[in-house]
Amino acid sequence: MSTATRTIPAKPSATGKRRPLGGQERTNWPATAVLIVCTLGVLVPLYVTVSMAFKTTGQAVDGNAFSLPSPLTFDSFVQAWTLTNFSRGFAISVFVSVIAVVGEIVVSALAAYAIVRNWDRKLFRWSFFYLLAAMFIPFPVVALPQIQLTGLVGLDNPLGVAILHIVFALAFNTMLFTAFLRSIPLELEESMRMDGAGTWQVFWRLIFPLLGPMSATVGIFAFIASWNDFMMPSLIISDPEMQTIPVLQKIFQTQFSNSYNVAFASYLMAMAPAIVVYLFTQRWVMSGLTQGAVK
Amino acid sequence: MLPPLPSAGTPLSRRTFLAAAGGSLAAFSLAACSPAGAQPTITFHQSKPEAVPYFRDLTAKFTASQDRFRVLHDMATNLSASFVRSSPPDLGCLNYNLEMARFMERGALSDLADLPEAASIRGDVLDLTNWYPTYPGRTSVIPYSVMAASVIYNRRIFEANGLSVPTTWDELIDVCERLKAVGITPIYGTFRDPWTIAQGLFDYTVGGMVDVRGFYQSMHGAGEKVGPDSEVSFQKTLLEPVRRMVQLKKYVNADAASRGYGDGNTAMAQGQAAMYFQGPWAFGEIEKAGTDVDLGTFPLPVTDNPADLKVRVNIDLSLWVPEVSNGQQGARAFIQYLMQPEIQDTYNAKFLGFGTVKDAPPVTDPRIVEMQKYYDEGRFYMGASQFIPNTIPAANYIQSIIGGADAEGTLRRMDADWARLAFRA
Repeated sequence: MSTATRTIPAKPSATGKRRPLGGQERTNWPATAVLIVCTLGVLVPLYVTVSMAFKTTGQAVDGNAFSLPSPLTFDSFVQAWTLTNFSRGFAISVFVSVIAVVGEIVVSALAAYAIVRNWDRKLFRWSFFYLLAAMFIPFPVVALPQIQLTGLVGLDNPLGVAILHIVFALAFNTMLFTAFLRSIPLELEESMRMDGAGTWQVFWRLIFPLLGPMSATVGIFAFIASWNDFMMPSLIISDPEMQTIPVLQKIFQTQFSNSYNVAFASYLMAMAPAIVVYLFTQRWVMSGLTQGAVK
Repeated sequence: MLPPLPSAGTPLSRRTFLAAAGGSLAAFSLAACSPAGAQPTITFHQSKPEAVPYFRDLTAKFTASQDRFRVLHDMATNLSASFVRSSPPDLGCLNYNLEMARFMERGALSDLADLPEAASIRGDVLDLTNWYPTYPGRTSVIPYSVMAASVIYNRRIFEANGLSVPTTWDELIDVCERLKAVGITPIYGTFRDPWTIAQGLFDYTVGGMVDVRGFYQSMHGAGEKVGPDSEVSFQKTLLEPVRRMVQLKKYVNADAASRGYGDGNTAMAQGQAAMYFQGPWAFGEIEKAGTDVDLGTFPLPVTDNPADLKVRVNIDLSLWVPEVSNGQQGARAFIQYLMQPEIQDTYNAKFLGFGTVKDAPPVTDPRIVEMQKYYDEGRFYMGASQFIPNTIPAANYIQSIIGGADAEGTLRRMDADWARLAFRA
């Protein structure tokens, strides 16, 4: 955390100072134009999503996706809410995401710490490679056995999905944490041990706080991945009353029917937490993206 | 803009984080315990979106009407996964197709023959399930609703141009020519979505000319020998209908290649074309636009003999109970509830389905009423595209034929695919 607070404010102020001087740095107009066009790639669909959500069913299918909603209606939100039993699905989604985020951060940080500090021992070194190897096994490949296994041990529920998220992300997260941990000087730890701290204390009081920026990165990835996931909950969760939002939303688009307005209203509601999380954590997102890029 | 985040806040926020996680965990485990009452829960899987509110209402009513079972409406379970886990829904109410038939073929569905409701089903409708691979000696599924599909046409356009419903191929071409001459699009094509070609143009032309069931029986019999020299094959038996299908391409809208199912429904609602090759499921979508378009249906004439006219049907909803379900009793009780005339007939009237029982009332909706005659007389077939395993991308092959690929060559390729698949099996 401390590293983040020290470095982040420095950057905006540096660029902030450069701008007013003006003239010195010429605006790259071709690149700006390209980027403006690129932003349209996000803004136009987003506009359609928002305007569609407020349209009546009749207007939603009239073939003019870009028209403004008239009359403005909130019916789609009401319909989407009742059809998917939104509040329950939302609670389940939050439950899965919270466990996945916390679990991924804690478990991977512990694993990375153990591995980095015992790098000279074969067991730990090889366990690192073993974990990394899991990066090459995507979920769909082992989906069927996973369905059977989770069914056997009674984990065919949201908790099972959260655990699977933690396990499947373990490889990548451990790699991120390991790279970051290597940059933390051993001397810090040694001085703490001199004062009588045990390994556990060193980890929780010193290492884990220092891992803050990387934890934020891992947490953000974990949140996005678990919040938006469709396949895993769809396959693993057996009780239809315990299903997550993305799976429940499947009902809005089938081969034979489209309810654009209800679907988009529902998507907007499902997107809301991701946007709120981003608004509050964007500076970590920005800083996090480059964490571990340079060792 | 952002709330100040104290640098010393990490342990604090972590603690709140964990507390929140623990809290929701506790809430979750409590929630998991609470519904475990005395009544066993019957999971009722039904995922036809427009019918969800209807069936949800029924499950609530049934649960309230007796105290032995609680029926839980389920629209989210992944069927394959649930069968893998040996915890499938207790009662399924789904479209019956080749994929579903796999479960039946392997004996995963229990025998419902002893239910009095099974005996009330029309013989030729119950026989539709035998078009697919079956499990010998069992009535594994009870057809609940049949959908009949044929050409959707705009009555006002036909009347305004003095056209009557065609009953032979030549009449059909004549209708198309006359519409074209006055600048009206005869047929609205939605070729961007391959399935709309397969289930529309392809199924209608093939079904109107070829005995679909006999054709596939021979195809299965020939198996890996299917090819240029076999008695039946795609390239030989289906070539003529496919040629006629390509002939109709002349009469579609110019932008058909870039139009999808949704566009087609919008266009038909706005009266942009006279005919549309879709099933009754499109009516619900066309209705959404809220226009007062007057639509009807007629079977596509593909031969010169009006006696050959048939409509395409499919078992839109069928009821089945898995063998491994431990709520079979409740599932059967709910089947009997659903099969009561006032409930089944209401469903079919509401969702444009045809009844499956012997004494089902005729349909009354003006949009599909013209098909009742064919349905009563048993003049129907199931879509030819529905019997090709998904391993063969038939819809895409058909799309490429419509797009201009050589029909004979493409059908030959389908034969080769069929033979390869039979060899592997």
